[in-house]
Amino acid sequence: MTIIETHDEIVLSLKDLKKSYGTKTVLQGINLDVRRGQIIGYIGPNGAGKSTTIKILLGLEGDYSGSVEVFGEEISEENIEYKGRIGYVPEIAELYDNLTAKEYLTFVGELYGMEFRKTDLKAKQLMGIFGLEEAYHSRIASFSKGMRQKVLIISSLLHNPDLLFLDEPLSGLDANSVMVFKDILAKLASEGKTIFYSSHIMDVVEKISSRIILLHEGKIAADGSFTELKERNKEGSLEQIFNQITGFNESQKIAEQFVSIVQEV
Amino acid sequence: MKDFRSLKVIDLFRGLFERAGVEYPIMRRIVEVKLTMDGRRTPTIFNQQGRKKEKPEENGFMKSLMMYVILSVMLVPIVLFEGNLLFQMSLFFGIVMFIVMTSMISDFSNVLLDVKDKGILLTKPVGKKTISAAKMVHISIYLFFLTAAVALVPIGAGTARHGLLFLLLSLLCLILMDLFIVVLTAMIYYVILRFFDGEKLKDVINYVQIVLSIMIVAGYQVLVRAFSFTAMEISYQAEWWQFLLPPFWFAAPFQLLMGGEKNVYLLAFTALAVIIPLVSIFIYIRVTPAFERNLQKLNSTGGESRRKERIWKQWMAGAICRSKEERFFFRFADQMMRNEREFRLKVYPSLGMAIIFPFVFMLNDIQINSYAHLITTKWYLSIYTAGMMIPNAVAMLRYSGKYKGAWIYQTAPVKSLAPLYSAALKVFIVNLFLPVYLVLSIIFLIMFGIKIFPDLVAAFVASVLFTAICSNFLKGRLPFSESFADANASGGVKMIAAFLLIAVFIGIHYAVTFVPFGVLLYFLVLLGVTAFAWRYAFRTIWDAH
Repeated sequence: MTIIETHDEIVLSLKDLKKSYGTKTVLQGINLDVRRGQIIGYIGPNGAGKSTTIKILLGLEGDYSGSVEVFGEEISEENIEYKGRIGYVPEIAELYDNLTAKEYLTFVGELYGMEFRKTDLKAKQLMGIFGLEEAYHSRIASFSKGMRQKVLIISSLLHNPDLLFLDEPLSGLDANSVMVFKDILAKLASEGKTIFYSSHIMDVVEKISSRIILLHEGKIAADGSFTELKERNKEGSLEQIFNQITGFNESQKIAEQFVSIVQEV
Repeated sequence: MKDFRSLKVIDLFRGLFERAGVEYPIMRRIVEVKLTMDGRRTPTIFNQQGRKKEKPEENGFMKSLMMYVILSVMLVPIVLFEGNLLFQMSLFFGIVMFIVMTSMISDFSNVLLDVKDKGILLTKPVGKKTISAAKMVHISIYLFFLTAAVALVPIGAGTARHGLLFLLLSLLCLILMDLFIVVLTAMIYYVILRFFDGEKLKDVINYVQIVLSIMIVAGYQVLVRAFSFTAMEISYQAEWWQFLLPPFWFAAPFQLLMGGEKNVYLLAFTALAVIIPLVSIFIYIRVTPAFERNLQKLNSTGGESRRKERIWKQWMAGAICRSKEERFFFRFADQMMRNEREFRLKVYPSLGMAIIFPFVFMLNDIQINSYAHLITTKWYLSIYTAGMMIPNAVAMLRYSGKYKGAWIYQTAPVKSLAPLYSAALKVFIVNLFLPVYLVLSIIFLIMFGIKIFPDLVAAFVASVLFTAICSNFLKGRLPFSESFADANASGGVKMIAAFLLIAVFIGIHYAVTFVPFGVLLYFLVLLGVTAFAWRYAFRTIWDAH
């Protein structure tokens, strides 16, 4: 495959993607083309199928129907080369926390086929930029939530991937780190990286995404830039658009109920 | 990360792996990381000793192997004595299988049950073959060391005694046995996960860990006595029911090739020893995908595992707790102690020991005199020694795996936390000590007759008093408020103090049995002292906050 240097190149393409667990259907036919350099805000209520989509794209889940193409090639169990160009931050901080940050990061780098020394240097520099140089030789088990998240973010970027899947990547980060990370994402996108960003924090998604995809009950319920969504739905914020599309207009009522139960002592 | 010698051995087979389509350097790296992480865990066998200050890079696993080597000495007489090889070797394989399997389940479950692996490794450009190979190599290294530790000494002794053929057969059978154990363990997990949720499986693993801990301690008791039963002579025949017991399969080739006995049973057993492990590997490979799918259950918490509130517990809480605070603390402590696996792992083994202790002392008397003589004596007073577990268990009350939740005590608007202490101690007595004591009492009543009933009741009250005294170990520490990692094992001093105090109780009790109505009087005095001690402790020791 030759890499065509235009921003029209399709990095990722889903056609009629369906997936079910037993009798429960999670994805009911997703059609999606993602172009190079886009930051996709992938949103939806709990259980809408966001994580499932990402897991299928990474080859963590099989047994789906439809076609999944990444970098122009259909993914399969045998074809694992494409994973070398993907970076992934999982929603739950899954890492071998008995290892030190150095051990873990160099290990991940080597899994991506990088050299030990080069990874070590790179990881150390990146940790330093995040203000964690002191912790580089400590075990991850002793890290705070924000520190772990930073290690995960670094581990997803060590090998300079072309496509990034970020599942709630900001959890635990302080406001300053969030700002830095948002700028990093913008910079990466302008360099031609594609970012698939999944989160529940609507304000952030609204600000950083060049395109927003709203998943509801296993289907794409809305797709477009924030301005486009705003025009279509006549609502002021992404949060309101989200509530409107997912048919959730009971927030006031539920809040009232909740407080009234709280007050019955 | 240091260089592992075992990996250098694996390097010799590099060509083989590469021909099978495994990316060797990556596989080696994965195994290296796994071994590093293993070295940072505390094996169950060391549980009882607790952890000292965490020393860097000390491989707990390698140290635990030494314990197994020592334990394995008790197997030596089994392979050495003159007799039927089928019997000897089936006993040998039975014990080895038991040790390897329990140790495998308690310390190695996280390899078979790793759910992190999937997220971390499969998202990288690493082939499935490489990952499976890494897992296989990892398990093999572990099994190799474990089996070697358990079998090295007895096999060495057996080879010296029976010759080279013995060595060859042993090696072959041990390899087949290991294969069988891996698949069997995986199958057990598979079946449990198929029908229950991950919590159930974790419970099962927890109980195996507890059994292992008891076994290690009890093993030493047996070890001491092992040499005295070497003289047993048993005429031994192969029979059909032995088909059900795998140790017989692995023992059969010995009798067949070295014992000079040939019959259909032995041939069939030998065939099973070879065929079953190989077939089970094949089945294992077939069900692995289904197994991995079920593994996901480990992450999800089952929604319907609601525990029924036990009515008798509520009644008990009402009966023995005076204030409302104490009652809800009682319920809280009850739930904490029942649900927490780490707590069970630390305390349940000592419950097992508490059951065994009183008999250990009587055993000596039986050896000297006889059982008929024993039951006419006052050896029933050895029931006091069940109290040996109290100091350790009470000291453990202050630890919890989820100790960080203890902020709730400080933020809650309760006047005094003393009810929390008394409730936790009452739960300890009701949930942990009382069942053990009841079991012992029933056995003792059967042995010594109904006449000792008052003595047993008096001894129980003494144990409650003892618990109140032991609550000094909790002074200034809130229950469930510290990490188990801080639990250091100053058990020795505690145990000696406890032993002396128990000896005092036994002495007094022994003396009063000679006085008419002495036991009754002793009981009444104890009751008064215990009530006073409890109230005193409530005001002074427990109210320190």
